[in-house]
Amino acid sequence: MKIAVCIKRVPVMDVRFTIAPDGTTINEAGLKFDVNDFDLWAVEAALQLKEKAGEGEVVIVALGPPAAEEQIRKALSMGADRAIRLDAARVPPDGVAIARALAEELRGGGYDLILFGRVAVDSSNGVVGPVVAGLLDLPCVTAVSKLDIKGDRGTAQRELEGAQEIVQFPLPAVLTIDEGLNKERLPTLKGIMAAKKKPLVVKPASLGSSLVSVRRLELPPDRVGGRIVGEGVAAVPELVRLLQTEAKVL
Amino acid sequence: MANMANALVFCETREGALRKVALEALTAARKLLDSGGGAGGGGDVHALLVGAPGISSHASRLADHGADMVLVAEHAAFAQYNPEATAALVADRTRAGGYRVLLVSSSAQGRDLAPRVAAKLACAIATDATSVTLESDAIIVSHPINTGKIIATLALEGTPAVVALRPGAVPPREQPRPVQMQHIEPVGDPSAARVVVAELKQGSRTQLDLGEAPVIVSGGRGLKAADNFRLVEELASAFGNAAVGATRAVTDDGWRPHSDQIGQTGRVVSPDLYIAVGISGAIQHLAGMRTSKTIVAINRDRDAPIFKVADYGIVGDALEIVPALTAAVRAARGSH
Amino acid sequence: MLVAVLAIGFFYYNARRLVSYLQLGRAEDRTDHPGVRLRNLLTIGIGQSKILRDPVAGAMHAAVFWGFLVLTAGTIEIAMQGVYPAFSYAFLPSPLHTLYLLSQELFGLAVLGAVAWLMYRRLVVKPARLQGDNLEQLDALIILSLIAALMLTLFLLNGFAIVSRPLTPADPARVVSRGLAAMLAGLSQRRAESGYAATWWAHVLLVLGFLNYLPYSKHLHVITSLPNTYLSNTSGPGRRGVMRAMDLEAEGVEQFGAADVEDLSWKSLLDGYSCTECGRCTAACPANITGKALSPRKIVIDMRRRLMEKAPLVAGDTDGKRHTALVHGEGSPPPTETGSDVLDRRLLDNYITEEELWACTSCGACVQECPVSIDQLDVIMELRRDLVLMESRFPPEVQPVFQSLERNGSPWAFSAADRGEWARGLDVPTMAECVSQGRRPEVLFWVGCMGSFDDRAKKITAAFARIMRAAQIDFAILGQEETCNGDPARRLGNEYLYQMLAKGVVERLNGYNVTTIVTTCPHCFHQLGNEYPELGGTYEVIHHSQYIERLLAEGRVPLAEPPGRRTTVTYHDSCYLGRYNDVYDQPREAIRRALPMVSLVEPPRSRDRGLCCGAGGGRMWMEEREGKRINVERTEELLRTGANVIASACPFCMTMLTDGVAAQNAATPVYDIAEVVASRLAGAATV
Repeated sequence: MKIAVCIKRVPVMDVRFTIAPDGTTINEAGLKFDVNDFDLWAVEAALQLKEKAGEGEVVIVALGPPAAEEQIRKALSMGADRAIRLDAARVPPDGVAIARALAEELRGGGYDLILFGRVAVDSSNGVVGPVVAGLLDLPCVTAVSKLDIKGDRGTAQRELEGAQEIVQFPLPAVLTIDEGLNKERLPTLKGIMAAKKKPLVVKPASLGSSLVSVRRLELPPDRVGGRIVGEGVAAVPELVRLLQTEAKVL
Repeated sequence: MANMANALVFCETREGALRKVALEALTAARKLLDSGGGAGGGGDVHALLVGAPGISSHASRLADHGADMVLVAEHAAFAQYNPEATAALVADRTRAGGYRVLLVSSSAQGRDLAPRVAAKLACAIATDATSVTLESDAIIVSHPINTGKIIATLALEGTPAVVALRPGAVPPREQPRPVQMQHIEPVGDPSAARVVVAELKQGSRTQLDLGEAPVIVSGGRGLKAADNFRLVEELASAFGNAAVGATRAVTDDGWRPHSDQIGQTGRVVSPDLYIAVGISGAIQHLAGMRTSKTIVAINRDRDAPIFKVADYGIVGDALEIVPALTAAVRAARGSH
Repeated sequence: MLVAVLAIGFFYYNARRLVSYLQLGRAEDRTDHPGVRLRNLLTIGIGQSKILRDPVAGAMHAAVFWGFLVLTAGTIEIAMQGVYPAFSYAFLPSPLHTLYLLSQELFGLAVLGAVAWLMYRRLVVKPARLQGDNLEQLDALIILSLIAALMLTLFLLNGFAIVSRPLTPADPARVVSRGLAAMLAGLSQRRAESGYAATWWAHVLLVLGFLNYLPYSKHLHVITSLPNTYLSNTSGPGRRGVMRAMDLEAEGVEQFGAADVEDLSWKSLLDGYSCTECGRCTAACPANITGKALSPRKIVIDMRRRLMEKAPLVAGDTDGKRHTALVHGEGSPPPTETGSDVLDRRLLDNYITEEELWACTSCGACVQECPVSIDQLDVIMELRRDLVLMESRFPPEVQPVFQSLERNGSPWAFSAADRGEWARGLDVPTMAECVSQGRRPEVLFWVGCMGSFDDRAKKITAAFARIMRAAQIDFAILGQEETCNGDPARRLGNEYLYQMLAKGVVERLNGYNVTTIVTTCPHCFHQLGNEYPELGGTYEVIHHSQYIERLLAEGRVPLAEPPGRRTTVTYHDSCYLGRYNDVYDQPREAIRRALPMVSLVEPPRSRDRGLCCGAGGGRMWMEEREGKRINVERTEELLRTGANVIASACPFCMTMLTDGVAAQNAATPVYDIAEVVASRLAGAATV
């Protein structure tokens, strides 16, 4: 079973972000980075499929700067076999451009499955996976929360709003992995040591031109917390009013 | 049509029923075209309906919400969502019709469909947009990134552009016009698609997943007894789209199953509205719900830490307040 | 003579085997701190200080032990007389010889009395902690019987001796034997002499037989316990509870942590030989008390059993099966038939389960109680390290903790940017600010993650800051530069993550040339003060309760007029402050100084017997799925004291006790020492 997993280096989200003076990028000073959560679940899914098949290869592909090699090594320490980094100083905001670069690398790779995380927690688009599938003309199922592969056919479950879809598809295919499919394994110390020696090849990225650009970034208005609306049952009408008019959740 | 920008709106259906998000997308499309400063103000909004034979029955509703023209593709193989055939059809129609922009909802289905279309059109795409406007040379989209901690304003160049709109960002508005309908043919054979939706399983009313629910009502020790959780359940059902959560304290005590637990060792959720009933707000629980858009707290203790993170709080006995709130919410939604 | 040679030879043969099995374990240097080790040997070993923690049973054992020491002199005399009949200690000056004889008689009697009581205790009273399997009971009874037989034959021997020869000036000192001799007075000379000879042989054979029984019995501890006490790291300043750092960079190291006996250090294996199965550890274990599967005694006995099962095979003993007699344990699988079955198993999983290992709160009560200085906690932690580092096995709720520590430097998903939030409006400078202004503060206030992020604990932090302010201490905090010191990772077995965090902290602290640190959290206190030196961070670290006490004693804290009303306060000892670092008095003193009218009541389990709150050993982040909740057990005890206030000195204890009070639907407030004192500051609102 030959599986490619595309991962992304993203900032750790539990911080207060600040905007750089240019107004279109984030201040990276002091930020910590990790593999995108959804991509970790994709890596885990690939590893489990390979283990179940008893043989195969899991290949990590990442578009990013040299610093992304730390995240690639993490995926390798979980058990992936080798990796390719497509060199790009910055990951562009255009998902189609990213997909173009990845598709060029993945094309002709003979992969039974190409896995992505459903969405990157920073850019929050969820575009790259399906676009890669389109460029490679492969079947694609997004937001997979349950997965079963038998030979060259697969069945997946997708979460909808208040419902689930059961989808069937042939291999080779592109899947984007959603939360709930699995919990990613923690690398063992041996895995971390071994990862240092696994092959990591760097190639140029053919991004092409971007049609999406960032005009500006801004912080959302501060949360004004801690307003006690009132006491007891008497406060209920006022609360409802605020929920309707101010918070607009009712 | 160089100076008249038209918009195509894909109208989402599920098992033959029209979904509310389709109407939101239509409303947004209308707003978008009207917002275009300079060139192209006031173009046409075309709605695209894809489904099994009979789906055309929704055309009038679409026209009520601003569709100048309703394009309908009917085929048995569209009874369930058919990703490949739908994407092919939508892309083909978008290109052929010379639309400036394609609007889709950023629902689970829309997030699946929109990128496929963008791939075929090799165009710009933005998803989870909270607003979309038209400028002379670009579509401008507001898009929350970094788990909502930053709002990005993106510019999409080229024609067409694909925009997926966040559900709930634009309330549907009725702007009726006479129904104009046109039947169109699918591209290729929809039944030959490789990816097939074999089944749609409707979740039961009480099974709304904590990760999906826009509203979560959560109960803690302040409810005093396991039986009182029915008050929380009733409040949740009054909302109609709410799930029920719990703190570690009450799941440890067996009042609720562990799968309901929200917090450090349970689920981390980020609904639009989180109502914490009888929850003090210990660090482990906060870790699970802090990023909720709006937080309401009901607690006896004015000094409870939950009030510091809550947007709105009521101090008092949950056992009295919750039923009153349930009734008020029912009344408010009844009139919606 | 021949018999002696044979017996001693056989014993030597067994002893050599047992020592060779120890060599299966990892190497470790225990030659450091000879002064402390000697002191432990004298006080704990010879002085029986830990045994005496159980006053009555302890006194009985001490009697037997001291008796054994004293009577050894006599045994040598008797044995020598077998070869040189004329040998005796009579050459000693008269008072000394008399004292010697008297001591033999009195101690012999004491031992006999103690053994009788101990038999009664085992057979009739049957205390819970002594309940093991049948083999264990049999072993205990055999030992007690042998000792009794030894004493009886000794007295008989002396009795016959007195009867069969003329009286010597020393005889009046043989008080008991004389009584026996009186009963035997009617015997003929020949009968008396043959009685003497028979009894002599009986006594000597019993001694030699006992000697050779030792390797097959838990009584082996009489040989190993004194060396074990000397070699242990479980008592002594700054040594207790310090986990040894692993060399993670070492080339060619395949095993991290312990999965089987050869991964444990030889010292742990020696601990196995020294276990007397007394059960005091298990009786003190908060997990065991509340119904969890963990039993520290079982951990040690399982380790011993496993060693006796595996070592002979590894050492190439063809007759290994004969040496599995030290094998009885609790709840272990039956002995196997084939060698390969034995080698396929391992200590982890086949004997000691994950459930047992994760139930541990690392409170150290087992280590505190063990009379022969066994370190049960060490074994538990080494097995945890294997689970996490080698196998990635741990309770699922621990995964987000590891992830968050790695990503955020905190066990909870809070941003580093929020660390200084508690200080808003309090005008507390950060180290960075001080350095940029060219200042060097006297003291670094290490806040810790609880104190930075938990709303309840933030009040403790603010209270302590106010106290230091009032005392005009020149202090600073790290603010956003602070990260978790790594303790949760280490206690949870993730040494890799721990070293990553700890090395980062050491680098930062050393970069600021920090020398003195005060902290409100005992876990931080223990880490920074006791475990960081091994990683290159040496600082003077003071816990806030000690610091406050010192400030109060020096009169540096302006207090308001004392309130007239009495308060009853019960203070809960934090494990990492108390048992780990011997800080018991200063928090109590601080309370007394701050509240002159206070009445401090101690719960039954107090000070070094204090019951853990349940949060240690990383358990703060784990679900408690079995038995009674530890914090509820402890809080019930504290509430039963009837105190108005429960005082603590640790934010984790604070959380657990507050939850415990709420679970009882009680209203007794829980306050930290800092809050108690801060409320007494001149010009402060009362608590």
